[in-house]
Amino acid sequence: MRLLRHDLHSLSGAYALDALEPGAERDRFTRHLSRCQSCASEVRGFREVATAMAFATAAEPSAGLRDRVLAAAARTRQVPPEVRTHARPRRTRTWTPWVPWLSGVVATASIVAAVLFGFAQAHTQDELNQVRAENQAISLILSAPKAKLLTYPVTHGGMATVVLAADRHELAVVTTGLPALPAGKVYQLWLIGKPTITSAGLLPPAKDGQTPAVLATGVVKGDALGLTVEPAGGSAQPTTKPILALPLPV
Amino acid sequence: MNPNDSDASRFKSATTDRRGERDLDLLLVHVARGDTEAFEAVYDRLAGPVYGVIRRVLRDPSQSEEVTQEVLLEVWRTAARFDPAVGGAATWVMTIAHRRAIDRVRSTTAAADRERKTAEFHVPHDEVAEAVEASLDAERVRRCLDGLTDVQRESITLAYYGGHSYREVSDLLKVTLGAIKTRIRDGLIRMRDCLGVS
Repeated sequence: MRLLRHDLHSLSGAYALDALEPGAERDRFTRHLSRCQSCASEVRGFREVATAMAFATAAEPSAGLRDRVLAAAARTRQVPPEVRTHARPRRTRTWTPWVPWLSGVVATASIVAAVLFGFAQAHTQDELNQVRAENQAISLILSAPKAKLLTYPVTHGGMATVVLAADRHELAVVTTGLPALPAGKVYQLWLIGKPTITSAGLLPPAKDGQTPAVLATGVVKGDALGLTVEPAGGSAQPTTKPILALPLPV
Repeated sequence: MNPNDSDASRFKSATTDRRGERDLDLLLVHVARGDTEAFEAVYDRLAGPVYGVIRRVLRDPSQSEEVTQEVLLEVWRTAARFDPAVGGAATWVMTIAHRRAIDRVRSTTAAADRERKTAEFHVPHDEVAEAVEASLDAERVRRCLDGLTDVQRESITLAYYGGHSYREVSDLLKVTLGAIKTRIRDGLIRMRDCLGVS
């Protein structure tokens, strides 16, 4: 059965209230949603209505639940910060906002180059989509009104260049000229805060001395960006002395 | 300046703010970093509405607590996926909560129970009145629901609080599918304007 566009559009309310049964209709609407910005913003607004309805029916769970939830959380491993790949509301031409901001900031050229390098390296559609998603996130960081550019030398050689969008709690980092590592070793980035240190991912292999941009989310006040050498695959917590500890002005 | 001194005061302001959406967003960013104190603050702010809406849909208190626990653990586990650019933290959490409740309702074990409740269904408006207490949120929501047409109000409450699909709502209210779709959407547009959300 084919649905007219108008019919599809009118499902936004039922969708926002989880009133579409799983199946073809919901799948079709979900696909439509990723292409239709006005539908997505309508669904967002409706979900806020739903949230108000949830608050209106708030009730006190039994006293023991709090302890059970906190205890379970203490045993539960969290998913790491990640590159977000969902569609965001975006400008029609993602690249435009960079240009005025970038002019005069020579060091950022390395990030732009890293981004372009990513495109050039993609061979399959999946890889290309992945690179696109990452670049969208990077371009959002670069075009954030309060983005700050930081460069910092790395102990034993090389430089780290960071674009920090403090209000988005995100940063992008590229490095140039880091010494090559022996087999079985990798560079790993960290968000070093008090009291926690969180992995911000592994540095991808360098090409022409430069590593492709890495994104880190969840940057908070008091964090420093750290870099260590770790065994292949990375570590849960740093096992060597940081060769970079760049305080982040959040 | 000192990274250590900000925490206590931040959590305090997070609990004293009226709606405190922005602070809740920030709390979730800290939760994503494994900050258990921030998670406790999120629990204290959101466990009530999470449990409330789940119980509304599932009715059974102990099953509702079980699902509430699952939801809050998912918040802990996946806080890194929360994206403030897409919507507020409360909305993110409530969306997870409602969806989990619906999943439970539609699962096979709950299906029989469901049939019975559907058969028992009478007057949705009473059901709204029953749970809505004298809180500010509740008052606003009730006033806005009262501003809807009967069919709009009944379809929205049956879908959201009752956990019914719009097909079920169409059966219950004896109104065509196409009309229910539109009533839900029109009603939500009115609610949105009435509640003053963007």
